[in-house]
Formats: sequence, C-alpha cells, structure tokens
Amino acid sequence: MKKKNVVKLLTPVIAAGLLLSACNSSTGGTTKNSASNTKKEDISTFPMVVKNTKKPVSDGVLNFAQVSDTPFEGTLNYAFYQGQPDYEILQFFDEPLFSTNGDYEFTNDGAATYKMSNDNKTITVKIKDNVNWSDGKPVTAQDYEYSFLVIGNKDYTGVRYGDAIIQSIVGMKEYHEGKAQNISGIKIIDDKTLSITFASANPSLLTGLWPYAMPKHYLGDVPIKDLAKSDKIHKTPIGFGPFKIKKMVPGESVQFERNDDYYHGKPNLQGVVLKVVNPKVILQSLKKGEVDVADFPADQYPAAKGSKNFQFVGKIDLAYNYIGFKLGHWDAKKGVSVMDNPKFQDKNLRQAMGYALDEKSVGEKIYNGLRFPATSLIPPSFPTWSDPKANPVGYDPAKAKKLLDKAGYKDTDKDGLREDPNGKKFTINFLAMSGGDTAEPLARFYIQSWKNVGLDVKLVDGRLAEFNSFYKMVEEDDPKVDLFAGAWGTGTDVDPYGLYAKDASFNYSRFVSEKNEKLLAEGHSDKAFDKDFRKKTYSEWQKYMNDEMPVIPTLFRSAITGVNNRVTNFSVDPKDSSFVWSKVGVSSDTPDAQ
Amino acid sequence: MIKFILRRFVVMIPQLIILSVLIFALAKAMPGDALTGQLASNPKMDAQTLHELKQKLGLLDPPYKQYLHWAGGLLHGDMGMSVIHQVPVTQLLAGRMENTLILSLAILILSYMIAIPLGIVGGRWTDSWADKMVVGYNYLTFATPLFIFALIMLFIFGFVLNWFPTSGSVDIRVEDGTFSYYMSKLNHLILPALSGAIVNTTVTIQYLRNEIIDTKIKDFVKTARAKGVNESKVYTQHILRNSFLPIAAFLGYEIVYLIGGSVFLETIYGYPGIGQLFIASISQRDFSVVTALVMISGLATLIGTLLSDIILSAVDPRIRIE
Repeated sequence: MKKKNVVKLLTPVIAAGLLLSACNSSTGGTTKNSASNTKKEDISTFPMVVKNTKKPVSDGVLNFAQVSDTPFEGTLNYAFYQGQPDYEILQFFDEPLFSTNGDYEFTNDGAATYKMSNDNKTITVKIKDNVNWSDGKPVTAQDYEYSFLVIGNKDYTGVRYGDAIIQSIVGMKEYHEGKAQNISGIKIIDDKTLSITFASANPSLLTGLWPYAMPKHYLGDVPIKDLAKSDKIHKTPIGFGPFKIKKMVPGESVQFERNDDYYHGKPNLQGVVLKVVNPKVILQSLKKGEVDVADFPADQYPAAKGSKNFQFVGKIDLAYNYIGFKLGHWDAKKGVSVMDNPKFQDKNLRQAMGYALDEKSVGEKIYNGLRFPATSLIPPSFPTWSDPKANPVGYDPAKAKKLLDKAGYKDTDKDGLREDPNGKKFTINFLAMSGGDTAEPLARFYIQSWKNVGLDVKLVDGRLAEFNSFYKMVEEDDPKVDLFAGAWGTGTDVDPYGLYAKDASFNYSRFVSEKNEKLLAEGHSDKAFDKDFRKKTYSEWQKYMNDEMPVIPTLFRSAITGVNNRVTNFSVDPKDSSFVWSKVGVSSDTPDAQ
Repeated sequence: MIKFILRRFVVMIPQLIILSVLIFALAKAMPGDALTGQLASNPKMDAQTLHELKQKLGLLDPPYKQYLHWAGGLLHGDMGMSVIHQVPVTQLLAGRMENTLILSLAILILSYMIAIPLGIVGGRWTDSWADKMVVGYNYLTFATPLFIFALIMLFIFGFVLNWFPTSGSVDIRVEDGTFSYYMSKLNHLILPALSGAIVNTTVTIQYLRNEIIDTKIKDFVKTARAKGVNESKVYTQHILRNSFLPIAAFLGYEIVYLIGGSVFLETIYGYPGIGQLFIASISQRDFSVVTALVMISGLATLIGTLLSDIILSAVDPRIRIE
C-alpha cells in the first residue's frame, strides 16, 4: 500500500533485487524451452481492495505484521529515518500534509491545501485549522518551515538534503552553507499559511516536494545535531496521524491507540498493534490469525495460495530490475559522467544482449509470474507515465545473433564463441549480487543465455558479489566490471533524471547523450506541467532508452499483502493511500483463523 | 593468587590494544560503508551531499586519525555513534544486552539441567539402554542445526499446539512491571531458551560421561569400594566431584557465550538481541557497532579465561597458581 507511494521514501530493494525463490539447475541449460508447467500468477488479477462487506465493530484492534528479519531501528521521524521498518511505524502516527491521487500527485483533501503561482515557481500552502499534533498543539506554518530548516541545516545528520527539489528552494544553499539564518524562499504568511519559492518550475514538485511538518514546539529546544538521537524521536515521537503511540518495546513491537482528534474524522479502529514477524513464519502467523495485515514475500505465494482465513491484495511495485552496461566513468571533480569505455559503444551489441534474455521464463519459473518482463524504465505502477508500447525488447535469440553478426562480432576461430570485430577474444565480465537461494542460478541462467547467442560472459572474480562490494565496484566504476545486474526503487516521483542524467552520480552505466539530456530536462520543465506534454516526453524517453539500451530493463515486480478476512476497507490502491489507516476496520473482535 | 590475578590484568592491556588495532583495521578493510546500501536505494541524492555526509561522519579522514578518534573515545567509555540506528552505541547495546543476557542465562541454566543428569546416567550405567539413549540424543542434537531446530520447535509448540507465543520478548498489551508482565516475559522466553538449550548440551554431556567413565576405574575409587563404601556414596562423593572439574573449568568461557547472543534464535523468534545486531551491523557496515561488539567480546574472553583458571584452582587443589 503506502509502502512506496510516499515521495522520497525509497525502499531498499536492491538487496531484495536478486533475491529469488527457486530455480533448478535445469533452467540454466534450456533457454530455448520457455514452455512452462508451473501455473503462473498474474498481478493484474489481484484485487487492490479487500473484499469484506461486513460492518466493522466499534473499537476493534488490528494486528499489523512488520515482516522483517531484523528489529526496527526506531528513528521515528520522516526527516531522519532510514529503513523501511521505521517508515511502517511512522505511517500510523504521522503523515504528509498533502493527500495524493493515483499518480501520487498532491490533492487538496489532506491536512493542507496548496496553490501554485502562475509561473509555477511558488507554492502557497495552507494548513487546515483543525489539524493538531497529538499533544493538542496546532500544526502551524512554522512547523512546516522548521522541517526545511532542519534538513537544510549544516548540522543535519540525515540523508534527505540530497534531493534536487529541496536544493532548488530559493535561498536554501545560503542557509545550508550557514550564510543565512533562514531560507529566503520560504515565507510565513500567517500561522497557517506559508509560501515556498523555487529557482525553477518543476512538475515533480507536486509529487516530490517534501511534505512533512515537524513539531517545532516539541523538538525546537533540541540542537539540530542532537535531534536524530534524541528521546523525542526515539521514544516519545508525536505526529498528527490517525493513531498515536501508546507504548513501544524497542525493536520488536509498538502499540498505537486512536487519535480521537484526527482531523479527517475519528478512525475506525481503537488501536493497532505492530510487531516484527520473521518472513519465515509469516505464513503461519497469517493462517493462525495472529496478524491481520502483512506484506507477503512473493516467493512463498504458492504455499499460501488457497488459504481460507485471509486474502491477498496486490499491485505492481514501484521498482524494476535491470542489467546495466558500463559505458564510462564518473568524473567526481566535474560531477559528470564521461562515456569513454569503448567496450559497449555499439548499440547493436547492447540490444543483442537484451534480446538474448528470456525474462518471461525467469518470471514464471522463478517467481510464479509475480515478476514479469519489464518493458521500459518506467514501471506500470506509474499508469500515466509508463508506456508498454515503448518498443520493449522481447526474447528473440535469432535477432540477437543477427544483430551481433551485423555489428561484426563473429566466431572467427570456430570455438562457438564470438570474437570482437577485430578478431580478438571477447569476454564480458558480469557483476551480480549475492542474496537468496536463486541469485546464483539466475546469474548462471543469464550467462548461459548469452552463451547461446555466442557471447562469452563470466562472473567478476568468478563469483557473486556481496551487497557492499557490489555497490563499491559499481559506484567506483571498477574496470573489472563490464556489466552489472541491479535494481531501483523509484519512489513515487516518476522523474528519472536522478538515475540517468549526465550529472547524476546514480547514472551507473555512465550513459551520456544529448537527446537523453534534452528529454530528461523537458520531462521536469515548466512545460511539463502540461500532463500530455510530459506523457509524450516520457514516452519518447522510454522508447529512446529501449533503443539505445544503456541498461536492459529486465523485470517488473508485484507487491502482495496478506489480509485477514475480518479486515474492512483495506486497500493498496495508490489513490486510496492517503487515509487508508483511518478507514480500515475489523468486522469481528477475533481474527479468522485456520 | 591476588598477584596472579593482577598480573593477568596487566597483560590484558597490550592484548586489548593489539585487538583494537586489528578489529579496526579489519572493519575498515570491508568494502563499502554505512552509507553504501542506504543511498543506493535513494536515488534522490547528489554526489555533493553524499560527500558532505561522509565528511560529517568522519569517513573521509585518514584511517589512523579515525582509529585515534575511536580509541580515544573508548578510553572515555564512548563507543561512538551508530550510523544506522542514529543513537550512541552504548545506548544501543544496553537496550539489546538485557534481552541477550536473559535469554543466554536461561539457555545456560536449562542446558545444565538437561545435560548433567543425562551425563551422569550415561557415565554411571555405561552401555545400558539408557546410556545408548543419551548417546543417541547427543549425536542427534549435535548434528541438528539450530536454525532448523528452532523453526521446527516454533512450528510445533507455537503454531500447532499454541502453547507459546511465536514472536517477540513480551506482549506489548500487558502493563510494565505487573505480575502478568513478568509472566509474559517468561512465557516468551521458554521456547527460544528451550530450543537453544536442547542443542547446546553436547559438550557438557560428553565431558561428564567420559570423565565419569574414566574416574570410575581409577585406583582411589577401587580403594573406596574395597573399603566397603556403598555404591551410591562412591558416585556422589568420589566420582562426581572429580568429574565435574572440566565443566567447572568451562564455566568461565560461558560468559563470552552469555553476551554473544544467538543470531538464529533472535531472528526466528523476533527476540531483539546482540547476535542479531552484530550480524546486521556487519552487513550494513555500521562500523562503530561492529568494533564495539568485538571489543566487548574480546574483553569478555580474556576475563572468562581468567575466571576459568580461578575456578579451576579453587575446586582442584592439585592446580596451584602462584
């Protein structure tokens, strides 16, 4: 649900990116045989809203599972938290000022309303009168300003300042450098109203602007450098969400009680109990009715199918897997990518490597269909922006071979492997991450697929790389790496600029082209406030990237949630995300068990 | 004796210094840092800010400087800040240590409660069917991996029989400090402690059984028997007392085990403790937590060996420490 649809709250999907479920060795060898006996699932057949028409009981208590094999950290503030587990706690007791629609764009139904100026450079935010912190004090314009003052401060210890939108606030830079006491672009108009002016107009503002206020009256007396470790954030945080924290057992559980003063109406549930449950036992916990709502590990889905006492809801995740080509290096001094690695400059070669991969089989055999071939670099969880007709590369080994022939990669010494156009031995070093039982078989499957079209691909150092080594090598453009398999969580802001632009350090493939820069810049320009224009621009970008193929989009993924039959009104539909926890109820006092 | 203990403590100082250098060097030799994983998943980050953050965290200082800073802090009892948890390491460890100590102590007591009677039975009635059962049990538990055993225990007693809660260290709904609060803690403790204890008895049983078998044919036992001491007295007074020696010697080392925690039990039973924290901190490159934990267990090992020596000399007058 709101798992990833809040701006900037990006989940660490990288580790999970290669975490696959089960792939027997025979899959590795038989790439041509994509016919599959396993019954595959299709995420589009999953409902997004639970089916339960019964009336909720008053004062019900819901048990929420935090499916994780580590305790939560307990940094309970949007400006400071780092891991998804803390976010899951935050969502119950604090929320963004703005509600959002199905495109994750701000609407005016939430705690605040907004208005854009005519030049789209200034947003005026008005906080509604009945919005109060859980200690009874009103949420004010100063509170919203305060969160920017914290994030921009030179003593701030969190990771949110890197955001381009925050940095584009007029006067933010001066404040960050300590040259100004305040941020000149943020003006308090009255206690409930403020305006924020940006250096440039950017439609991503309406999904990507920092939407969280911080209780200044409560946190203001703590020096900013000590905020992250203060008890006011770790032990007794406050918010203005539908619930408030009643009790917490560090690292393992949190008890919430209803916030009767919630501005959007009294929540249905009297309380929520959140506890950490290991992924290995989550199915049993759901079956026993110990937990009512749990994000469910997709690899266990076949075992869970057909359960009677709980149901599944699902949607496509805000993430994708990809295989990237190292086309150059990052010039740290200038802060730009330089595309100077000759190995993969021929786009025929890149395309051929894409056509060689049978992602449909991977999705069906390894993920029971809950992952499926990616069609572009914008996942369908952005229905407005994702273009399924952006000429996706499918599985076509014959075409791959033809492209390689055309590019001059021919097997001149008849050893079954192609040489490069100069007749020299051509070996590609592939970096893949370890994690989960199927990381290795999947990497082998890809290597075998490339071998089937005559390409000699080897794992870097002959083995999978551990998470940190993987990123170190990719970030530092280690010359050992020609090709790497990664994954991105996109967050709710569709703008791919931060991942693919010339001056984005996360442009790991180091792909640079004029057209790419132009399309990316247009995609978040003033003109792109026109949705049709933006749609067209991103559609063109997706086509362009599928053609140039600096990275091969490999898989999209589904996110499924197990929900006990007694739960009402639960939804993972992005358009319902804003008030879902105040609407959710339970239709009986005891959960259904099996 | 006191001189001996003092001398041991003095020797500990260089040992700890060497340990700290080693730990620090090894930790820094791991690729990546605490920001690697966090930011790779956060595309909204520019290179400039990343650089600033690393600077703030001192990750860009030369290693010797980082070491001196860290070691200097250690002398003041300051183990640094956890980047991942954003709290001082001491505070973080204190929170987790309570659970770990309770769990480990319970495991220790339970495993002695199981192992000592079984060891005695096996040793006294060697080759009887009872002994064969004990040996069989020993091989079985020795060969059983804890992470599978814990899952099976959880499945049977937690989910099928519903005897015990399935995760956490306490039910959050009961009020702190009341009788039911402690009962809830106990109730949450039994299953993980039992799982840990059952597969933790091998060494104790084996030592005790072998010792008894050895001792039983020794001359002084024969003499006792020849003098007409009755059989049960031979066992309780002559054989057992001597057979407990190696176990007593082992006790000191158990301290290390006590604070080390168990990553499997903690993970499977959702019981936040030190073992779990240690593993997670390594993979997240939360250096200050990793180094602090290794330092502490290093210190505990040194003290544990010392304790073992002291216990041994106390129970066995043949060993003299000068």
